[in-house]
Amino acid sequence: MKGKKNLDTEVNLIAFISLLSVLICSLLLSVIWVQIGSLNIKQAVGGQSSKDKEKVPVVWVDMLKKGGLQLKLQDAPRAPKVLKRISVQGLDGKIDFDALGEKIVQIQKALPKLKMALIRPQAKSDYEEVIGLMDQFKKAGINDLGLNPL
Amino acid sequence: MNNNILNQNPTLSPLDQASQLSPKGGEKKKMLETTVMLTPLVDAFSILVIYLLVSFSSSGEIITISKDMKLPEAAKAQELERSTIVRLEVDKIFIENEEIAQKDLVSKFIEIKKQLSERRIGDEQEPSLILQADKKTKYEAINQIVLAGSQTGFSEIKFAVLAK
Repeated sequence: MKGKKNLDTEVNLIAFISLLSVLICSLLLSVIWVQIGSLNIKQAVGGQSSKDKEKVPVVWVDMLKKGGLQLKLQDAPRAPKVLKRISVQGLDGKIDFDALGEKIVQIQKALPKLKMALIRPQAKSDYEEVIGLMDQFKKAGINDLGLNPL
Repeated sequence: MNNNILNQNPTLSPLDQASQLSPKGGEKKKMLETTVMLTPLVDAFSILVIYLLVSFSSSGEIITISKDMKLPEAAKAQELERSTIVRLEVDKIFIENEEIAQKDLVSKFIEIKKQLSERRIGDEQEPSLILQADKKTKYEAINQIVLAGSQTGFSEIKFAVLAK
């Protein structure tokens, strides 16, 4: 047995800990603590003709004072008349996103093909509320969003 | 060869022998012998490394936010991709950290679009803007950028938000 090599090995933990420490330090330096994302909208650019395009149902969202909203359906001839123009009252001067969510669900039941919304804010509308509106439509699966310039 | 680490008893830590404080203190005194528990330390380090690797973003930090600016929050935020960054502060507009007067906005966008189209020959990707503004900003301030962007052919506008 004397000539045989001892196979009782030990993992060198000190080197392993050093490696892990270096890794942790470099990862901590590169980590992003605040997750920033984006809400994307497609804007119509000058010169695009609407004649050639197939007409798709669109919901226009007018942002009114004190968080009020008015939803108008366009190019949706089969939509029930009650859904063609819907008002959503504000809540304490802010947009009532829960009520808006319910109205969007109602519209989507009648118009499953609805994928486009155009938001028409006012000059004094808060950017936060515009983003909140866009987010609400994205949550409902309406991803083609546009912003109407003043 | 007798001093080889492989020949030593692995159950005995070298610290067992080395870190006895006051070894001549007698049996009655409490032993203050300490050993560093390496196995839990390695476990904790491994968990930390795995957590950090999972949350690692290969795209890096595209935009930085100043402490006075609070971005709006959105649940359906998409991953931010590199584009021309427009930052809107109280009365100032910055394009890629360079302050631009409101009257020069359109001409600056035209210039940027020209540079982009020269760089992206054959690339079908449409030019886009990243808009960074405080959540309390009024839409009339946002409007000038949206309008100038649309006029100059930036068909996609990405609003920077905090992911909920």
